[in-house]
Amino acid sequence: MADGELLIRNGVVYDPINGVKGEQKDICIRDGKIVESVTNPKVIDAEGRVVMPGGVDIHSHIAGGKVNAGRIMRPEDGRKGLEPKTSVCRVQSGYSIPNTFATGYRYAKMGYTFVMEAAMPPLAARHTHEELVDIPILDNAAMPLIDNNWMTLEYIKSGDTDLLAAYVAWIIKATKGYGVKIVNPGGTEAWAWGKNCNLHDSVPYFDVTPAEIVKGLAEATEKYEMPHSVHVHGNMLGHPGNFEMTTDTYDLVKGIKPYRDRPAMHATHTQFHSYGGTSWGDFESQAKHIANYVNDSDHVSIDIGSIILGDTTTMTADGPMEYSLYQITGRKWTNLDVELETGSGITPFLYSGKSPVNTIQWAIGQELALLTKDPWKVALTTDHPNAGPFIGYPIIISMLMSKKRRDESAEDMHKVIFDRADLPSIDREYDLNEIAIITRGMTAKTLGLAEHGKGHLGVGADADIAIYDMSPEERDAGKIQKAFLNTKYTIKAGEIVVKDGEVVATPPGRTIFVTPECDDKLMDEMLVTLKDKFDKYYSVTFNNYPVQDAYLPNPYEIKAPWRS
Amino acid sequence: MQTITLKLKDAVRSGIATVPVEVDSLTPDQLFGKSEAELKAVKVWWGNREEDTGDLFDVSVEGDAASADEVKIVMEGDLTRVKRIGSGMKAGEIEARGDVDMHCGALMEGGRIVVKGNANCWAGREMRGGELIIEGDAGDNLCAMYRGEMKGMTGGKVTVGGDVGECICQYMTGGEILIKGNANRLAGLNMSGGKITIEGDAELFGPDMTGGEILMKGKVLEMMPSFKFLETATVDGAEYKKYLGDFAMGEKKAKGTLYVK
Repeated sequence: MADGELLIRNGVVYDPINGVKGEQKDICIRDGKIVESVTNPKVIDAEGRVVMPGGVDIHSHIAGGKVNAGRIMRPEDGRKGLEPKTSVCRVQSGYSIPNTFATGYRYAKMGYTFVMEAAMPPLAARHTHEELVDIPILDNAAMPLIDNNWMTLEYIKSGDTDLLAAYVAWIIKATKGYGVKIVNPGGTEAWAWGKNCNLHDSVPYFDVTPAEIVKGLAEATEKYEMPHSVHVHGNMLGHPGNFEMTTDTYDLVKGIKPYRDRPAMHATHTQFHSYGGTSWGDFESQAKHIANYVNDSDHVSIDIGSIILGDTTTMTADGPMEYSLYQITGRKWTNLDVELETGSGITPFLYSGKSPVNTIQWAIGQELALLTKDPWKVALTTDHPNAGPFIGYPIIISMLMSKKRRDESAEDMHKVIFDRADLPSIDREYDLNEIAIITRGMTAKTLGLAEHGKGHLGVGADADIAIYDMSPEERDAGKIQKAFLNTKYTIKAGEIVVKDGEVVATPPGRTIFVTPECDDKLMDEMLVTLKDKFDKYYSVTFNNYPVQDAYLPNPYEIKAPWRS
Repeated sequence: MQTITLKLKDAVRSGIATVPVEVDSLTPDQLFGKSEAELKAVKVWWGNREEDTGDLFDVSVEGDAASADEVKIVMEGDLTRVKRIGSGMKAGEIEARGDVDMHCGALMEGGRIVVKGNANCWAGREMRGGELIIEGDAGDNLCAMYRGEMKGMTGGKVTVGGDVGECICQYMTGGEILIKGNANRLAGLNMSGGKITIEGDAELFGPDMTGGEILMKGKVLEMMPSFKFLETATVDGAEYKKYLGDFAMGEKKAKGTLYVK
């Protein structure tokens, strides 16, 4: 919150939440917020340059147990991107799994100021928060994994949505989390039995189906005034022919009335869930099927999970999926069980433009963005680091903005792209306003962060701003990519943190968490069952489980009252 | 022919801490065409500090060179804490007169390195070409890959006059190596190509091997149990038992060959 007053003069502003589409405007900043006017400001001349709110990433894996296990497993990734410390920055390492410092600096250089850690195993919540604290600059939040949890499975079985809602409230509060994350519902628990689950398969022992889990958790979430809906990584991720299961999963929340004007489900890294064919041999894109569904409905939003060609490290709570991947590559693999809560797997992967399968995957992510008509329903992600590291976002932006660049890239890739993907036949090009929507506006709205000052430049919003060194008329894909990789300025809470593509200040970020407010009587009833679970099964005690306030030195609380 | 002599100053090695000097910037291809003054100004890392070569070494230059191939660097003094000698070199020759520290000849692509003493771990790591001669012993991970990398030595020629440590040539895919002494455990671990010749004794060589060849001229102290005897074969006029493996990697992948007496 340094710098007191700032005035950004004459920038070409893209602020989709406030309907500003490339207008030359001044932006006034005081004490970290956007204000009507300033009296004695420091002036930044942004004449002719693109100005946007700070980027808001809806889904990325930047902190916690599996990210760190990936770092330990892949010293060769750590050696990529080594940068010595400077008078401002600490030492940086890593490419697909950068260290905490590099994560903060690199996101800030791209103009991002908020990142959602998309999968926090509740038992590893302390570790996750420790790393979030260590990531400079970025505001952040984390979503606990709730769907393969024994408590959840038992309440789904008994059909008691109110008690499930009480448990959801308790676990979000205990982990200082943000919302409900679902990863391969039932399938990760089945993996503990060496199995996996389709949408309507019975989960071993618990005798519930993934479909019941998704519907039950969506209903429990909407009992509260939660800022964000359930955040769903569906079943059979990455399996050929999964596209119908994907839209069947979307159907589950059709009748659920969400709190506020947002969908009842956010479906993440949809690229991995848009696969046609029956095997890797006849694998094909079904992005059209998914996009058509999203176009015709308002109960689901998606993010694309686009592929970045090259080497990366895949990591997810979807243990059985990682095992399948490991069987394909034969490279190293980590598998982890998290007591009665979830699991996870990690394995390195190389996305190659010479491989027919990788080529089609590469096309699908971009097709999803281009075929979804309303950009307010789709977000830019790479499911960092699963489909590629976040540092590749500018590549995707340049592809979406340039049909020419897509065509040139397709020429270098496997010929299969012309037969089994739709990308070469799509002419649509995103404009800067649409790019601003899928990287800030849509994501801030979908996460429910817009009214908490994120993703827009209205008076009262956080002064998180990106100034890109490009003219709004720029059409050269290479120059667009370069501009989005390193900002002219990134401003975080009114402080200049990046100037001319170099990090110049590293203030700590805030951690945003949600407190769902549950009726005491309901909570007490749920706690009887939960305490029994702790006594019988957990390796930690009930009292030692919740994350203490000390783990969030810069907290920001959002209260979510029970809906009347 | 040009000879550049670099003698490590005694002061660098005095004091309690033995902070290593890293000299991957001092290769014939990088020093070619530099005047003595420019040479002295080339940066090298000493611990966490970047120093001028002239501050750490006594530098003398004799003769002229028309190309990097005609440049010979002679390193003198106590080299036991000098790392990355000839690392990444592409041409010319380096002669190290004494024992050298880790990563000598790592990532080397061409030229020749002669070590007139012992080499510490990781000598010839991920070597791609050229020749490395170690007259004494070599440490662990000779010609292997560095932690996490998927390929070790891929080309070039290495000769070790003495014994070698563990896990030499791990993930080796090409090139040739001759060990005149004994090899410690797990020589040729995960190797998929290239040739290792061991004249001394060795044990448990070739685990997880999927290609390439190990020729054992000395005594086999312990054989990997997952190799299959194939036939008797004659190599260089001597009779050997030929084995195929490693079957621990599965029937299809067991394409490595061992020749043992």
